[in-house]
Amino acid sequence: MSTLIEADNLEKIYRRGNEDVNALNGISFRIEKGEIVTIVGPSGSGKTTLVNILGCLDNPTRGKLTLDGEAIFKDGLELTESELTEIRRKYFGYIFQKFFLIPTLTVRENILLPSVFQKRFKANDKYLQDVLELLGIEKRGDFLPKEISGGELQRVAIARALINNPKILIADEPTGNLDSKRSEEIKELLLELNKINGLSIILVTHNPELAKIGSKTLTILDGKLSRQG
Amino acid sequence: MNIMQVAGKNLRRRKVRTAFTIIGIALSSWVLVTLLGFNKGYEASLNKDIDDMGFQIVLTAKGCPYEAATLMLKGGTGLRYMEEDVVKSVYEAGEVDEVTPMLMHAEFDPNKGENGGTTVYLGIDPATYPHMKPYNQFAQGDWFKSGEKEKEVVLGYEAAELEQREAGDTFLIGEDEYLVTGVLKRSGTQDDGMIFLPLSTAQSVFDKSGKITMLGIKLDKDADIPAFEEELYKLPDVQVVSMAQVKNTIMSLVTSAKVIVMSIVVIAFAIAMFGVLNTVLMSVFERYQEIGILKSMGAMPFDIFKMVLFETTILCGIGGIIGVSFAILISGASEFAIRYFIPFAPTGGLIQISTNLAVISVAAIIAIGLLGGIYPALRAAAIRPLSAIRSEE
Amino acid sequence: MKALVLSVLLLFSCNAFAAVGCDLNDPDRDVKRFFPSSTGYKTDYLSISKEGGAPLLKEVEAVLGDSFQGTYETIDVPYTVYTVFEGKEISGYIHGINQKGKFGGLQVFLIFTPEGGVRNFYYQKLTSKFAKDLRSEEFANQFKGLALSDFSDYDPKTGEGGSEKVKAVKFPSSDDSTDFLATLRAVKKNMILMDIFVFQRRNEK
Repeated sequence: MSTLIEADNLEKIYRRGNEDVNALNGISFRIEKGEIVTIVGPSGSGKTTLVNILGCLDNPTRGKLTLDGEAIFKDGLELTESELTEIRRKYFGYIFQKFFLIPTLTVRENILLPSVFQKRFKANDKYLQDVLELLGIEKRGDFLPKEISGGELQRVAIARALINNPKILIADEPTGNLDSKRSEEIKELLLELNKINGLSIILVTHNPELAKIGSKTLTILDGKLSRQG
Repeated sequence: MNIMQVAGKNLRRRKVRTAFTIIGIALSSWVLVTLLGFNKGYEASLNKDIDDMGFQIVLTAKGCPYEAATLMLKGGTGLRYMEEDVVKSVYEAGEVDEVTPMLMHAEFDPNKGENGGTTVYLGIDPATYPHMKPYNQFAQGDWFKSGEKEKEVVLGYEAAELEQREAGDTFLIGEDEYLVTGVLKRSGTQDDGMIFLPLSTAQSVFDKSGKITMLGIKLDKDADIPAFEEELYKLPDVQVVSMAQVKNTIMSLVTSAKVIVMSIVVIAFAIAMFGVLNTVLMSVFERYQEIGILKSMGAMPFDIFKMVLFETTILCGIGGIIGVSFAILISGASEFAIRYFIPFAPTGGLIQISTNLAVISVAAIIAIGLLGGIYPALRAAAIRPLSAIRSEE
Repeated sequence: MKALVLSVLLLFSCNAFAAVGCDLNDPDRDVKRFFPSSTGYKTDYLSISKEGGAPLLKEVEAVLGDSFQGTYETIDVPYTVYTVFEGKEISGYIHGINQKGKFGGLQVFLIFTPEGGVRNFYYQKLTSKFAKDLRSEEFANQFKGLALSDFSDYDPKTGEGGSEKVKAVKFPSSDDSTDFLATLRAVKKNMILMDIFVFQRRNEK
């Protein structure tokens, strides 16, 4: 396995009122290709901040981040929104606790939405069908989000994250809004995606069951990596 | 699927709000296109009315009464004559569109009733006069049938009333019988009381061959009337009676109407623009998170900017087309209303909505809507995915 | 000035033929001329359409023995009746009507006694080849003393009928009697209208 993500001494300082808050305090680790990494930690520990920086939704204050050998963040250099978007397009798919589906678009249209903005990944019908089948929502393509269940909604969100064939899937509390049965289904699905497609997954979760699927778990405490293993 | 389709579907989310916004834009475009149409129609109608006044300048021999009323007051005397070849000199003065020579003649007949009566005749050139006085419409019949030198008359409205003449009747001038070929509709001018006959007939029957009393002059549209008048004064023994003042008055009316109308147009534009701005901005705020997610999915700021502007375009396009169609559909009623409320409306179509104007208005509404959409679109484009996603936590 | 210009422009659009009435050219002078001792007069504007509408028109046409014709002889023609006073007493009436002649319009005025008899006759306006003869005093004098009853069986289309007094009215020139017949028709019509507008109504009161 080769290194997919290399984080070196990542720091993030927020300004809150007159105070600087160290959300991340020098975190370093590596993630290999095809790995599932779970990030755990109590609320406010900095795990979402970390995953936002890993997912290039945000700039770190200091530190280095290398993606697939490409140096993304280097000390002190902040990337613009467009530069961050370019990187996101290249590497990432995201799922969140909320599904953020567009209510007026059908399931199929929601899934295809990323390709609207990224012309280079023109998802063909076969690929779309494969993704729908993989996620068990092939019969839901023409439904509107309000017409399907919560578990299906998250599957649609996952399908949308996968439609542009990302290298890394970032999942921030993907089962936070689901009951245990649906959570279990999503868990199985993530495992399957990892197994079949070799998709690297970075998973932030409070759910201990879900956290178990990680080949590596990063435990964050007070902005620091307290445990890795 | 493309960004435009996504934008279109976004608008279906709040159907009622979208509908109201479209209605607002439609109303603005209705006002806009109706006013612009009015502006155009009003000016065109007034111009037509000026045109219908026929000649802007009347040339008479010095001291000659040029109004029938004056002539009557003078008991039909005092007419002075010019030689017919003055026409040539006038053409040489330049900027002349057309001229029409006239011979006015007043005749007192002691047997015309108890105390006798004066009748005013106007010999006119059948080739030029009728179309230089286009407002002269016929209640019955038409201009002279056989042209020059025939014993035919056309009666003004009041002259016909007084003489109880209808087209086809016989009319008496002196001892000679004339055929009434037509009766004019009321024009509100001195023509109403006039008895028209062909110029050459008039010259021979009143023994004034080669003479005229008046020359009606119609200038080119953009001619400098005062300058032309100066030229005319160089001709010997003529006086110039000008309608320039009337034209200037009408033109200043048009200008003030335009100013008023354009101010209302600006207000209509402003209403449309702020309506769009408000609606689109609201919908951007509502979709704050969603736009953030779109950006996390790879949407560039410009993609989002485009999407929001597309929404605006769709809103304004639909609203504009509805408004303009509505304006065209009810322009008749609008015109009726304008005529009702405006005391002095010119004749002719007051509201003229051409295809050009309709297209330009829709384009203008879209443009103004886009202007209103820019700020919300910029706000949307500037949404950072992270803060959007965070905002739900 | 603007208002003036525009009202002139506006007038261009009033095109309908309106019925035309027949007024005295100079009422003050004319009333004094026929009633030198008059102290005043009052003017009433009456029309068949206002006084009785279509049924009245039929009635008038029946009595006249001819129907109303042409553009100018219509149901809504306004008629002007001048009632002349001497003190509080009515000393007579003046009423004129338009009549289509062969060569032009005739305005035939009758001056009535308070009882409805013709006191005087004149053309206020007249266009005719025979104008000179028609406007002569001799011609006018023939109408003095006539009453509506004299015309009861007079046919204005043919000129036949009428009382001896009517038959005695002679046209001084003879070639073309069109304008003469038109004048008699106007006199009969004038009297019928006055009978309806004034005399009958006064009797009803």
